[in-house]
Parts: sequence; C-alpha cells; structure tokens
Amino acid sequence: MLPALITSVGAITGISAFLAVLMVIADATIANYGEVKITINDEKEFVVKGGKPLLGTLMEQEIFIPSACGGRGSCGLCKVKVEKGAGQYLPTELPWISEEEKAENIRLSCQLKVKEDMSIRIPDELFSVKEFQATVAKIRDLTHDIKEVTFDLNEPSEISIRAGQFVQLRVPEYELTDEPVYRAYSAASVPSDKRHVELEIRYVPNGICTTFVHKYLKEGDPVVFNGPYGEFFLRDTEREIICIAGGSGMAPIKSILLDMAEKGSNRRTRYFFGARSKRDLFLLDEMKELEERLPNFRFIPALSAPEPEDNWDGETGLITDVVAKHMESGDNTEAYLCGSPGMIDACVKVLTDKGVPEALIYYDKFG
Amino acid sequence: MSGSLYPVAILFAAIFTNNILLTNYLGMCSFLSVSRELKTSVGLGVAVTFVMASTSVLNWLVYNKILIPLELEYLRFIVFIIVIAAFVQIVEMVIERVSETLYAALGIFLPLITVNCAILGVSLFMVIREYSFIESFTFGLGSGIGWFLAILAMAGIRQKLKKARVPKGLEGPGITLIITGMMAMAFMGFSGMINIG
Amino acid sequence: MKQSPQMKVIQEQMKPGVLTLQGFLGSDTRSLSEILDADAAEVRRLGTTHQAIADRMRYFRKEGEAGLGEFTTVDSYFDVKVESVRGKIPSPFGGPGLYAKTNTTLLNKQLNRSLVFTDINIHLIGEHGFYEGKGSPFRLEPRALVEILEIPREAQQVEIPR
Repeated sequence: MLPALITSVGAITGISAFLAVLMVIADATIANYGEVKITINDEKEFVVKGGKPLLGTLMEQEIFIPSACGGRGSCGLCKVKVEKGAGQYLPTELPWISEEEKAENIRLSCQLKVKEDMSIRIPDELFSVKEFQATVAKIRDLTHDIKEVTFDLNEPSEISIRAGQFVQLRVPEYELTDEPVYRAYSAASVPSDKRHVELEIRYVPNGICTTFVHKYLKEGDPVVFNGPYGEFFLRDTEREIICIAGGSGMAPIKSILLDMAEKGSNRRTRYFFGARSKRDLFLLDEMKELEERLPNFRFIPALSAPEPEDNWDGETGLITDVVAKHMESGDNTEAYLCGSPGMIDACVKVLTDKGVPEALIYYDKFG
Repeated sequence: MSGSLYPVAILFAAIFTNNILLTNYLGMCSFLSVSRELKTSVGLGVAVTFVMASTSVLNWLVYNKILIPLELEYLRFIVFIIVIAAFVQIVEMVIERVSETLYAALGIFLPLITVNCAILGVSLFMVIREYSFIESFTFGLGSGIGWFLAILAMAGIRQKLKKARVPKGLEGPGITLIITGMMAMAFMGFSGMINIG
Repeated sequence: MKQSPQMKVIQEQMKPGVLTLQGFLGSDTRSLSEILDADAAEVRRLGTTHQAIADRMRYFRKEGEAGLGEFTTVDSYFDVKVESVRGKIPSPFGGPGLYAKTNTTLLNKQLNRSLVFTDINIHLIGEHGFYEGKGSPFRLEPRALVEILEIPREAQQVEIPR
C-alpha cells in the first residue's frame, strides 16, 4: 500500500513539476521579448522591454500619444507611423486604417505589440505633452450645472500651453468605476499663468468624469492630467474674429480672450454666447472686464428660451439667427466655434452664407 | 478489424459514425454558445481539432510510456488534464510569438478549450479502445474534424433559425438542443457502418 | 449559458463605470447573448427589423437637430429635442466609430407618450440589435419604440443581424 501511494504521488508530482518547469522556460523564452530599441523621428532613442503594446510602452517613456479609450482599440486616435519593426496588420487595427494610411505604414499603437527594434514617426508637438501632478486649488459653481475647477501644478510645476488647447484629465477609480479613464477639457485660464490650469466642467447625468468632479472631487485633492493637446488656438493674423460658444464651451474662448487682452490686441472681436435662460449665464463680470480691457471686443449673450422672471432685454432666439443678424459681411473674418456637432454645423452654414471662407472657421473638434 | 487501413477507418468513423459530439454528446457547452456566430465557430473548430489531435498523441505517450510501466493507469484522469492544460498554455505562448494574426483569430479560444470535456474524452476513449500511436492520432484528428463539422452545421442552421418563428420558451438553448438531437438522430443512420471498437 | 470569448469581452465593456457611469446592462442578470436573442425574437414578433427601428430613430434625430437644443415639431404631432454634451464614446462592441453624446427626447402628442434615446443607442440597435439590459436607464423596449415612433409592420423579410 505504501509503495503504491509513494509511486502515485511521486508520479503526479513528477509529471506536474516537469510540465511546470517547461512552462516557466517557455514563459522566459518564447513569451519574453527581451529589450528592444525604439527610435522616434530619427532623433530620440529609447531602450524598452518588449512584449507590450506600443502605446503603453511609449507612455512609460513619457511620450503621450492621444487616446480616448485607454488603449482598448475603440477610438482610433492613437495612430503612429511605424517605419520599421512592425509586423502584419492585426484584425483589430484594420477597421481604423484607410488605404492611404496603409501605404504610409500608419498603425494603431494600442494594438501593435513591440517585439523587435522599431523606428517610428510622431508629430513634434507630442514631445511637449507631459503628465502633470497637481492639486485642486479651487472649485467654484458657475451655474447650476457648471463648475470651474482650478489646479495648482506640482510636478512639473509649470505648463506651456496655448490659449484654446485642452488637457486630458485622469479620473481615478472611484466608487462606481473599476479603472481610470481620461476625459478632455479645454483650459480656460490665461497661458501666461503657467502654474495653474482652470477647467469648466458641466455635469452630465451619466458621465463618469463629470459625476466624479461634481460629486466627489474636493479642494486639496491630488489630480493627474496630461497635455497640452489640440489645434484650436488663435491664429496670428489681423482679421476680425467671431467666437460662438455656449455653456462650458466658453473655456477655450475665455482663454483666448484673456491672452489677447494681455497682449493688447486690437482686432475687432465679437463673442456670441448662446444659452437657454438667465440661469445658464455666467462670468458676466469677467466678460464686462474684458470689454474694458479690449476696446474692440463685444460680448453678445443670446437666450433661446428666457423665463418671464428673467426680465431679459438682450438678444433672444437661436444663436445662429443672432449671429446672422449682427454679421455684415464675412470677408476678412475668422471664426472660432466650440459646441456640439449640430450647433457647429448650423453655425458654419450661417458663416459661410455670409462669406466667411470655410478654411477660416476653426472649431474644437474633440467634443 | 485491423490492418494498415485501420487508422483511416478510425478517421472516418470519428467524423461520422462515432462523432464525439453527436454520438457521444461530449463538448456541448462551447458548442451551444459559440455556434451562434459562424465566423467564431470556424475559429473554435480549427482550434479544437488542433488540440484534440495533439493531445491524443501526447497523452498516448504519457499513458504508455509513463503510467503503464509504473502501474499508475488509474491516475490517467488527473494526468491527462494536466497535460492538456500545460500543452494549451505553451501553444498559446508560441502562437502569440510567431503570428499575431493567428493569435487574434485562434488564441482566444485556447483557454476555452482546456475545459472542453471532449478533449479529455478523446484521450480516455483512446485508452479504453487500446489504440496504437497512429490510431490515436487519426482518432484525435477525426474527432476534431467531426466536432468542427457539427459546430459548423449548427452555426449554419442557427443562421437560418434567425428568420424562423421560434416559440418563446424555446428560444436560445431550447431550440438548439432540440436541433442537436435531431442532428444526432440523423447521424445515427451511419452507425454500424464502421466498427472501431 | 457560456458565451464566446468575444461576447464576454463586449459584456465587460458594458459594465457600469467602463464607458458610461451606469453602463448598458442595468440590473439584468442574463448573459449578453440571451439579451440579444430575446430582443431579436421580440422584434421579429413585432413584424419589423432592427434596421427599420434604427432608421426611424435616425430620422427623428435629424429632423430634431434644427431646434438646436430646443423642442421643435416634426411631422405635425411629434415634439423632438436634440441636445448634445461634449465628448464621444466608443461602442462597447468594439470596431470603428465614436458616438456623440447626443440625447434625442421625443414626445408623440397623439399618444401622449415620450422616449429618450442617444446616438449610441441608434448604432447599438441598428448594427447589433442591442436595446440595453432591463433596468438600464436607457433601456429601450422594442415594443415601445415601435408604438411611439409608429413603425409600420413589414411584409416578410427579416434581415439577419450579425
């Protein structure tokens, strides 16, 4: 009985141990990609551990490729040109890559794994995107559903941002979520204030980030965000400026206006702010102050559904109608829009009808 | 019945007359759930065939060269499972290394297959019927192809089912099991044609 | 019932806190395949297709856009409001496409019944036959959609969802 017991236990142990060792060796050899070199834009070189997707590998080296879905392969934003070192296209990449992009070797960096030395090409602006650790300095209610949040930068302690650009705020796991998500918000603060970033965040009932900011975030809490991103900024010309944005869309416009005021710009500027009723108006004092600092600037709010008790005597109706009413001709004008796709389409139509060339209409596209 | 053609006979028998799924009713759970989609069924079918053919051979070696000499045949249940699990793990690593595309197509099924009772069933039948090395291989291969055939047929039928009016209570698993039963009855018509023990 | 690994991944994406705060499944304990099968059968019984329902939703959303966030009248007795918030979300089913967070609120004045649906609902219904789990705040019952949006019964053909 005893020898049989020993033999059987020994045999099982032996076989299991042998297979376990085999798997450890396999893991260390087959699944181990060792160290590889990534060369970026023929200048920067990094030696990294292979085996992980390119997006995450680059993030570890503090290169932040834009991504809205956190690497799940569902937003298509993390495209990178890979000149050397990529294998075949993965089925998860193909839906996002057009024929022209295939010819350029554009890959989806969250799906492509780093297995050998690579040479990639990314826009230079991405090198200035950094991850920031900051503290919440102030939270202020602007309206019943919009909060103004100001961050005090710790590490790095300064940010170089252009008026109109945005940052990606990291929402950590909290009561209702399992993993962090990133959401983009335009900076409303003036770029010369390099130690702070101010955001305007509107509460959306089913939103992961806005619920976090409105219900859980407190002054003094630490936050993480990366940036700056975006091509929405004021072009350096002498043309007239028309801005159209409502609600939290005011953020990039405010940043642009503050920047202009500091630099003493003389360009004729009009900002059409569309809202539903009086309780959706905010920062009216700041706008008045800007009108004083910028003699050629006018702030024109328009309410589409004023309540009787508002006693509103300003402009009423749809913002597109108000713009059409105030605009003369569109030559020598550029426009900066921030809002929902529906509103932007409607505004573009009004502006082009008035003669503003479509190429001179800029809008905040990430939203 | 024996002879040099016996392995071939086993191959055909495993596909038709002794279909591991339709005759022996093994490997049902992934069959029922994955047959919803045609493309996934193909992927899973190929993966199952590959694993069945390989593990039946591996287990033959382990059984005849290790367990029998040590008189530990009764341990085959545990040992076969361990071998299957380890094999699938290593194969997954190799596929991921060698071809990302193949991994994306097949690799995700591999963990699902480890617990597929048909895989263990093939190894156990091989022991009961005392197959030789070659016979084990063709039996494993044939069983895989037979399983693949069954899931492919079921996926095709379920596509047609989407146009049909199924009584409310039978939707999903209900009607699928009934159809599997009908397919099994159809395959019973093959029984007795080839005798493989 | 077990699901294919792909379905499991998609179901994970639908959990609360992953793409939206409350997720797409609500308090439904069934597996994703069961939910899809049950709703597909219901749609068949109603004599229409996922595509037809999605097309009708898309129609109202387009007509309602003219209101720029306020109620506007469509087809004489529908009041439709289309409002957006910023940001886009990907589909839990994966694949290309980011969907705007646009809510369409519709009131059928003749029946005095209303509905709310989002852009991603239109995609989920039209392309995947997914009406969200029972108990989800954005769950759309196929029967309610057909009745409120007044979708006609179709003669015979039912398209095969993927």
